[in-house]
Formats: sequence, structure tokens, C-alpha cells
Amino acid sequence: MRRIMQECVRRYISNNKNSALLLADIGAWPFHDLLEKYPSRAKNIGIFEAGMVSLAAGLSISGIVPTVYGITPFIVQRALEQLKLDFVYQKLEGNFITTGASYDFSTLGYSHYCPEDVLTLKTLPELEIVTPGTPQEFETLWNSCHNNGRATYFRMTDYCNSMNVNCEFGKASILKKGENCTVIAVAETLDKVWNACKNEDVTILYYSTVSPFDYGTLSDNCESGKILLCSPFYVGSLVADIVKSLESRRIIIRECGVPNEVLRNYGTKDEKDKYCGITVSNIKEMLESLI
Amino acid sequence: MENKNVLKKLRKKILYISLIGKDGNIQSCFSSLEIIWTIYSFFLSVGRTEHFSEGRNRFVLSKGQSNLAVMVVLAEKGVIEERELEKFCKFDSRISMQADRTKFSGIVETSAGSLGHGFPMAVGMAWAKKIKSEKGKIFCLAGDGEMNEGTMWEAAIFASSEKLNNLVLIVDDNSSISRLIDIGSLKDKFIAFGFIVSEVNGHDVEALKEVLELNFDKPHVVLAKTIRGWGSKTLIEDRSWFHRYPKEDEIELLCREVDDFEKDYARMCKKIYFK
Repeated sequence: MRRIMQECVRRYISNNKNSALLLADIGAWPFHDLLEKYPSRAKNIGIFEAGMVSLAAGLSISGIVPTVYGITPFIVQRALEQLKLDFVYQKLEGNFITTGASYDFSTLGYSHYCPEDVLTLKTLPELEIVTPGTPQEFETLWNSCHNNGRATYFRMTDYCNSMNVNCEFGKASILKKGENCTVIAVAETLDKVWNACKNEDVTILYYSTVSPFDYGTLSDNCESGKILLCSPFYVGSLVADIVKSLESRRIIIRECGVPNEVLRNYGTKDEKDKYCGITVSNIKEMLESLI
Repeated sequence: MENKNVLKKLRKKILYISLIGKDGNIQSCFSSLEIIWTIYSFFLSVGRTEHFSEGRNRFVLSKGQSNLAVMVVLAEKGVIEERELEKFCKFDSRISMQADRTKFSGIVETSAGSLGHGFPMAVGMAWAKKIKSEKGKIFCLAGDGEMNEGTMWEAAIFASSEKLNNLVLIVDDNSSISRLIDIGSLKDKFIAFGFIVSEVNGHDVEALKEVLELNFDKPHVVLAKTIRGWGSKTLIEDRSWFHRYPKEDEIELLCREVDDFEKDYARMCKKIYFK
């Protein structure tokens, strides 16, 4: 996904003189040609994410669309007030790409984890949040959002799905129709969801845009009133959207996601998924108990 | 009308509008008024036909609590209507304690409210001018209390690194922070951060104009020494006025103080603060 992201950004910066790239000294090397070719507007300016996001807003006010790239918690949390006041409040355009996802940097500890990014950014009305699961999905979503006049958060992961979905910005994809339950897969959980549920009589929906949330597709595809939500985020991140999609209906929701706790363990991404219960076997168990 | 008389008129207007809106940061507005007046009178094209040109000078109010001072200046310049001022803080008003740029397209460059945002945005705007090879400068007004925010210094490092000589930061230095902590010398700090530093009496329009006209090969900071509540004896002496509005029975006295300010108080203030 990083490679595709780099290509997308390179293309955009190269073809648009009213664009700028701001790197926070993370993943800068692959952009070295861009930094050399466009030194006035493609810069690795070091680690000062809060000030950097305000700086990006100043560019945006002046008609230069900024693309900011950094590690998830340092963009989402350190610069949260800047995203809120400088971009959302001022209705400015900008692209915020992060690496690290929930706990891709599994050995770096809690400081570098951010399973709360979606929950946190959902508090900012009008901010677009896309969570591609594959490089192709990143490219599709980038092409839809990177120059659309709004602020967009692109959540990258290094642990992509093998299953690519022909996704569309702002729309959930219906991967399978069934009777007993609606299973919602988000971002990099899709492979596990598919493996756990493909032979069951269930509907499977895949979300690669979580804001704006596609209420309609869920509303039209949840006859059973039973929902199993699988996401790589803190549990609760999308429950409000699900309830809103199905308001005035009796529903049962079960959720497979990151428990809302301080993660003090390290290990591999896979070990962390097991700890959180984001596994094929657990998804199967949760589904069985639900239906 | 002479600057002095206009500024008296604007101070009284700030008092009346605060009374109508039932809110105000009047001390801060009075502290900043000469600075804001100087920038709008001599360095900005707001209200003129050429205003929307790309190469215009732009102004960023980083210390958002002085917004009402900006609004009365804009009204004086004919950019907004007087009757709009009278809707200050009302439910459907464009004008409140802090600015919302989405309600003033092309006139108010940035929204404000949370300190430590405006100056970094101003740095981004100065950088954008360099990218676009645009003329003009970015003038930014911050408070000395705001210099306690880390983002101000993050932005200062970048501005210096980029040699943004189209950036002028004016610090309304009314000792907001030095009464709380020993911040040391702002002058020394800015010099260490690679800025050209000027010091000026922030209530002297001619002196401000002179220093803001200067050009350098580095970003420029103007440390404008001011006094909170300047223009009214009560507002200077009574700290409770930092965030309050005048009542009906106070307004007459306060306006009289504005009218008689030089006679009553200014000489003493100059002696104390502007050696």
C-alpha cells in the first residue's frame, strides 16, 4: 500500500503546481526524487505535527493543497485540535495520510498504536475518513478524494487483505447476500471475515469509507436485525453509525475489534490480532452464537 | 479625523458593542487597537477594489480575543455595516467574540479562538506566497501570552529555516505571560530563532507604521509593548475586566475615561512602561 500511496502522491505533486507535500521525517526516502525536483513545495520538515498541520492549513487558505504524511497517532492525536479548528472549522482542503494503522508497529508500544483513530476523528464533522484494505483500494479512494475540496484522512495499513474489492468512495460493497446475519468487515479485517463467513448464510458488507458512513446500504441489507461488526479499531468506533442506519428497528450487535484498553504487550501484528480476538476462529464463534 | 480621535471613537464603540452583545475581551481589544488600526490603515487593501488580488498583503489575527477590535476597524473602513456590529454575539450573527472566516470570504483570512494556531497558519501562508512567487506580506498579530504555546515556536523554527522574509509577526506584548511566569526575554528568544527583532510602543501608530514598513532578508518580529485596557483608567487598573462587558451604569464613566485618557492617565503610563 505504501508503494501505491507513493505513486499516487508523486503523480499528484508532479502534475499540480498548486499542491505541496509535507513529510514528518517518516517514510521520506521513497520521495527523495520528488523533494529534489520540487524543493519549494515538497519538503521533509521534521517532526512537529501540530504546527505542521496548522502550516498546511495556511497553505490551503492560499490555494496550495497540502498532503501531510506521518505516523497515525502523531497526526490524529497530537494534531487533533489543528485538524478540528484549522481544517474542519475553516472548511479547508487537505490530505492526511498515516502509516501504522492500529498497531502495525507492534513492537514500538502504546505510543505508536492508534486503534482509536476512527473513533477520534469521527468527532470531526465533515472530515472524510477512508480505510482502504488493499493498494488498489487506496488508489481508488485517493483518486476520488485527494482533490475534492475537503479534508480527507487516509488510513494506511501494512497488513493488506488478499481480497481486493472494487470499492467506491462513500459506499459500502455488498460481497454476499444471506438470511441469518449481516456481517460488516472494515479495512484489513476483510480476509478474516471472508474466511470465517463465506460458507454461512449471511450478508457480508465491506466498508472502506467510514466517514461519511453509508447508512443506506446497511439499512437495505439487514433483514435479520443481527449484526456482527468486525473492525481493526477500538470497539464502539462505528456502533453509533450502525444504530443510526437501523434506527427504530430491533437489532442485536456483536463486535469483534480492539478492546478498549491500554495495550501493553508487544510481539507481532498477528499476536496482537489474536490477543484482540480478531481471528477467523473467533469471528466464527461470534457468528455462531449470534445466529 | 486624526488617528487619535478615530481610536477614541473605536474604543467607545467596542464598549457599546460589548454592552449590546453582553460579552467582551475589552482589555485585549484596547491593547491591540493601535496595532490593528495601523495594519488595516497602511498595509491592507481591505475595502478597496484591488483587495482580492493574489499578491495582496494579508492579516492573520492569532490572538483571537481581539476580534472585536478588528470588527470595529472593518466597520470604520466601510467593509462591514455598522448595523452588523450591533448583532455582536447574537445567535445568527456573523460577528462574535472570535472570528469565523467562512462568514467573511476574502476579508477575514483565518478563524480564531484557540491560541497557538494563527501564527503557524500565517507561516504556511507566507510559505505559499514563496511557492507561488507572489508579492505581498503576511502580517500576524499574536499575544505575548500566546508565546507560551509550543506551536508558536515550532512555526518560528520553520519560518526561520525557510527565510520567510515576507512574514511579519507582531507580538502584542502586554505582559500577560510575564505576570505568571518568568518567560525571560522574548527578544533574545526570537533572535536565537533566527528572526529580526524590532521593539516599539504598540500604542503609537506612527512608530508602528515605521517599523512595519521595514524589509529584511529574514522573518521579522515586532515586539509591540502595550498595556491591557489602554485607553481607560478603569480597564487598566481592574483586572476583572479581562473577560466581562460593561453594564448600563458603567458605560458613561468608561467612555468619559476614554475621552479624557491622555489628561488622566497616559503620561503616567508612558513613564512607567515606555521608557
